[in-house]
Amino acid sequence: MKKKKSISELTLKTITKKQIKPIPKWEFIARKWTLWSGIIASLVVLIIGLGLAIFGVIDNIISPYFWLIIVIIFWGLSYFLFEKTKRAYIFAKWKVVIVINIIGLIIGGVMFRCGLAKKIDLDLETKLPYYRQMVPMKIATWTNPKAGYLSGEIVKINENNFEIKDFEGKDWTITGRPLIRDRVSKITGEEIKLIGVQIDDNTFESSEIRPWTGRGQNMMKENY
Amino acid sequence: MIEEKCQDYDDNNLVTLSINDSQYFYCLMKRYEEKLSNYIKRFTYLADEDIADIVQESFISVYQHLNDCDCKLKFSSWMYRIVHNQAINFIKKNKQSIKIDLENDDEFVDWLVADTDIEKETIIKYFNEYVKTVIEKLKPIYKEVLVLKFFEDKDYQEISDILQKPMGTVATLLSRAKIQFKQIYEKEKKY
Repeated sequence: MKKKKSISELTLKTITKKQIKPIPKWEFIARKWTLWSGIIASLVVLIIGLGLAIFGVIDNIISPYFWLIIVIIFWGLSYFLFEKTKRAYIFAKWKVVIVINIIGLIIGGVMFRCGLAKKIDLDLETKLPYYRQMVPMKIATWTNPKAGYLSGEIVKINENNFEIKDFEGKDWTITGRPLIRDRVSKITGEEIKLIGVQIDDNTFESSEIRPWTGRGQNMMKENY
Repeated sequence: MIEEKCQDYDDNNLVTLSINDSQYFYCLMKRYEEKLSNYIKRFTYLADEDIADIVQESFISVYQHLNDCDCKLKFSSWMYRIVHNQAINFIKKNKQSIKIDLENDDEFVDWLVADTDIEKETIIKYFNEYVKTVIEKLKPIYKEVLVLKFFEDKDYQEISDILQKPMGTVATLLSRAKIQFKQIYEKEKKY
């Protein structure tokens, strides 16, 4: 009687017959690097998002909702990708959650404290189209001339200065030699925001002029 | 004969050699074939042909992933993990439930009665007709941990590597398995 083949013999036969080969090492290395690059990238976005969300909540200059959504998405992605790593299982899930939160809050908090979050927000406004529509300014914050922020609609252009009507309806004369951002046309009817110093009750010396939103639409006037 | 040559090598050496020569992989398979078949049998109750299929699929998967061997772990843990996952997938695919084939093992009975008011003699006396029924009603994950701990003699680290759960969770699962056993045991006793 013919002896029944063992599982090992059958498997070896299958491997030989189907010419099955071990998957090359470089494929596993590439997968590992891709995974870790994804984890680092999503952590970086999470940290930036947290820094800007903290800036939005505490300084109350921008709406934090867009960045809070980014934080939630990239928090989930960081966790999901980390759980895909080979040795993730040795850590309890709650510990992973705490570590991601601590990393995000500490670095994001430092970013906010040293002003980097504000700088990133202003950079994104000038470099990223539609950014200001997604992260609108809070109008109350920008109608605070004593703090150096003023906004409104240009009503008249003069030779050495121009006039605006702020969103409370008050008229202002704008002086100075401000830096004018790319998307500002400085024409009558345009909505702008100004950074500078209040000189007197009706005069504001501007150091920088920015468009009210990325595309001249006021999205948060209702907040006022 | 290749099998004689293999005797001088440990599992990790054989993994390295198998990458270039499948004959060495045959030795690895031979070492684990029976252990893995028994392991699946203990927690699945599947037919021998199904078990053979699962083990064969697992061996092929291990062979394809030799270059990804997590050799910081014991090779056996990696092998058990793959066969465990294949078996669970098979059970899910075929909509079967996990049924464990346990024997009246001393260590298991001692663990079961420790810190409970259940008498050891009762457990031993009614193991086949009664205790097994109670164990059958445990959650699948508890059964898996019990099999690995008491019938495959794996330590916490190995169980953690096989089931891909933290060691603390393994300890918690074992402790909860006993609590659930006691609850079901008390409930069944009333009838």
